[in-house]
Amino acid sequence: MSSSGKRLLQANEDQVDAAKSVANSEAGAVRLRQGGFNGDFVLSYAARASAIIVLLMLAVLMIVLFHSALPSIKLFGWRFLVTSDWRPNELDRPIVGADGKPVLDEDGAVQIETVPPSFGALPVIFGTIVSSSIALVCAVPLSFGAALFLVRIAPRALVGPVSFMIEFLAAVPSLAYGIWGLFVLCPFLQGHLEPLLKQVFSHIPGLSWMFYQRLESGRWVPIALTGRDMLAGGLVLGIMILPIITAVSRDVLRAVPRTQLEATVALGATWWESCVEMLKYSRSGLFGAVMLGLARAAGETMAVTMVIGNNSQIKASIFAAAQSMSSLLANEFAEATTDEHRAALIEVALILLIMSLAFNVVARSLVVGKTARSAAGH
Amino acid sequence: MTIRLFKAATVLLAMSSTAVLADTRLQGAGSTFVNPMMQRWVSEYQVQHGDTKIDYESTGSGGGVKAFLDKTVDFAASDAPLNKKELVKAGGAEKIIEFPVIAGGVVPAYNLPGVNTEVKFSGPVLADIFLGKIAKWNDPQIAALNPGVNLPDSTITPAWRTDGSGTTFIFTSFLSTQSTDYKSNVGAGKQVKWPAGTGGKGNEGVAAVVEQTVGGIGYIEQAYADENHITYGSVQNKAGQFVKSSPDSISKASEVAAHEMQGNLLVANLWNQNGQDVYPIAGFTYTFIYKDMNNIKSQEQAQALVNFLAWATHDGQKFAPDMHYAALSENARTQISQAMSMLTYGGNALHPSDQK
Repeated sequence: MSSSGKRLLQANEDQVDAAKSVANSEAGAVRLRQGGFNGDFVLSYAARASAIIVLLMLAVLMIVLFHSALPSIKLFGWRFLVTSDWRPNELDRPIVGADGKPVLDEDGAVQIETVPPSFGALPVIFGTIVSSSIALVCAVPLSFGAALFLVRIAPRALVGPVSFMIEFLAAVPSLAYGIWGLFVLCPFLQGHLEPLLKQVFSHIPGLSWMFYQRLESGRWVPIALTGRDMLAGGLVLGIMILPIITAVSRDVLRAVPRTQLEATVALGATWWESCVEMLKYSRSGLFGAVMLGLARAAGETMAVTMVIGNNSQIKASIFAAAQSMSSLLANEFAEATTDEHRAALIEVALILLIMSLAFNVVARSLVVGKTARSAAGH
Repeated sequence: MTIRLFKAATVLLAMSSTAVLADTRLQGAGSTFVNPMMQRWVSEYQVQHGDTKIDYESTGSGGGVKAFLDKTVDFAASDAPLNKKELVKAGGAEKIIEFPVIAGGVVPAYNLPGVNTEVKFSGPVLADIFLGKIAKWNDPQIAALNPGVNLPDSTITPAWRTDGSGTTFIFTSFLSTQSTDYKSNVGAGKQVKWPAGTGGKGNEGVAAVVEQTVGGIGYIEQAYADENHITYGSVQNKAGQFVKSSPDSISKASEVAAHEMQGNLLVANLWNQNGQDVYPIAGFTYTFIYKDMNNIKSQEQAQALVNFLAWATHDGQKFAPDMHYAALSENARTQISQAMSMLTYGGNALHPSDQK
C-alpha cells in the first residue's frame, strides 16, 4: 500500500473516532450508530430520486415549452418553419384594388386594412445553421490538429499544461467572448479583413454577389461592412466550441488501441499514414465530438447576440447581418407584449431545444459507443 | 454540531421574516427606459420615508404589463399605453388608472466626420432614410434642409434597435405620422421589420454601430446620447421649426399633449405635437395601478404607493432634467392629481397624504 493510502486510512479512523466520541456524548447515540445500517437504504433511494428528478426536469421543460408554444403551433402550423417574414407589429395599410389604386369608401376616404403580425422562423433557423457551420469549419481542423498534437507529438511534460490551457478556454464566460468580439473582432473585420476581402473578391466574376444585397424595392446596394455579421458570429462561435471538440477528440484518439498503431507501423506506414489510420479508426468518435461542438454552437446566446448583427433576414452573403434562434430570444423576449409574439418565441425555443437534444443524442451514441468498445479491446 | 447549525439557521430565518413583515414593501416592474429615473426617485424618496421600501425591476415594458395583469406586482411602467386587449384583461378600462410619469426624447444620432454644423432632418426625410430610399448623405432632399452644409457623398447606414423597446415605439410612431409609405410597409411598434440598415442591441448597440460606421445614422434615447456625448441633429416639428431635443422642448410638447388627456386613462401621443419650440420625437412612460387597490396586501401599503407615485409625479419631477429626462408639464400634473383622487382600497377612498 502506498504512503498516501495509509494516510487516508489513518484519517478515516480519526474521523470514526471523532464520530464515536460525539455519538457517545450526545443523546442521539443510538440513532447515529444505526446510521451506518440505514445509510445504504437512504443513499440508494436518494440517488434514484436524484436521477428521476433530473429526468423529470427535462420532461417538464418540454411539456411547459410545448404547452406555451401551442397557440403559435396552432395558428401558424408548418408555415412557421418555412416562411421568412418576422414582423411582430400590426400594419395599417390602404386596401389596393385590382386596378392598383387604393379602394375608397362612400365618403371618398381611403379604406385601411390591418395586416396582422407575421412570424416565420426560417431566417433564425437559417442563421443558426449557417453560423454554426462557419464555426465548425473554423474549429474542427484546429481542434483535430491540437488533439493529434496532444496524443502523438507533445512531450509528456507539455500535455498537462496545454490540455489545461485549452480546457480553460471553455471556462471563460461567454459574455467575455462577446465583449472581445464586439470591441476587438468586429472592428478588425470592419476595418481590415472585410475591406481586403472585398477588394480581392468583388472583382472576380461570379463572386461580387457576396458584397451586394437586394432591397425589397428591388434595387441592389452594396452591403455596409459593419463587422457585425454572420461571419463574426461564426468566428466567435468557432473559438467557443474549440475546447470541447479538442478535449473530446483527444480522449477519442487516446482510446485507439496501441496494437492498432503498432500494426500500421509494422506494415510499413509512415508517421503521416499512421496518423491518418488513427483518425480513420476513430472517425465515429470524432464525428461525435463535432456534434457536441455543434450542439454548443447552436445554443450559444450571449456572445452571438453581441456580434451577429441581429437582423432576421436570409441573405446569401456572410457579410450581411443575421440572427440565430438564441439571439432572437435574447433580443425579443423581454419586450414581447402580444400573446402570439410570446408564443412564437417559445416555439423557437422549443425548436432549439429539440435540435440540441438531437445533436447531443447522436453525439453521445457515437462517442460513448466508440470509447467503450476500444476500452474493452485493451 | 448539525443540530446546532440547524438551530442557528432557524433563528436567522425567523429574524429575516420578521424584518420583511415590519416594512412596507412595494413591487414595481416594467420599462427599462424609465429605470434610471425610477431608481433615483426611489432613493430620494427613501431618504424621507425610510419605512417605505420600493423595488422597481426593469424587466422591460412587456414583462411589466404581464406582471401587472397577473397581479404579481403592485404597479407597472410601460413606454406604450395599455392596448384594448390588455385593458380587457385588466377587467375593463374603468378598473385601472393610467398616467404618464416622465417624458423622454429620441434623437437622430449620426457619424459624419468633417461636418461640424448640426445636421437638420425632417420627418419625411428620416422615414425615407430608414426605408432605404435615401441612400447618400448628399441626396438633394437632405441638402435642401441643410443649405450651406458640405454633405459628403458617403452611403447612409441606418442603425436601429434589434431588441423590443419603447425607444423604437416612439420613433416608429413618429415616422408613421410622416410618411404613408413608411406606415403601410414598416409601421409602428416596439419592434418592427426594418427594410434597410443594420441593428444594434440596446442604446449602446445602436450607438456603437453609428460610432463605428462612417455615414451611420441611428435613433437613440436622448438621455443616453447626452451622457455619452453623441452628436445628434435637430428635427423639423409640425410648425416647421427645426428643434433640438432637450428636456425643455419635450416638456413643451407634454404641455400641448396634456390637453388631450382626460379621465382615468391619461394617454396622449407626445410625438408630432403642434406648437412653437416643440420637439417632435418624444414619448411618455406610463404607470398603471388598479383603481381599487385591493390587489395590494394592506391599505397602509396601498396608501404608501399612492404617496410615492404622487410625490414622483409632482415634487420628484425636479430631478428629471438632471437625469436628462423631460419633466411633466404643470397641466399634466394637475390631471394626474385628479385621476389619483379616484383611487380606493376596498371601497375606502385613498388620498395622497403628502406631496412634499
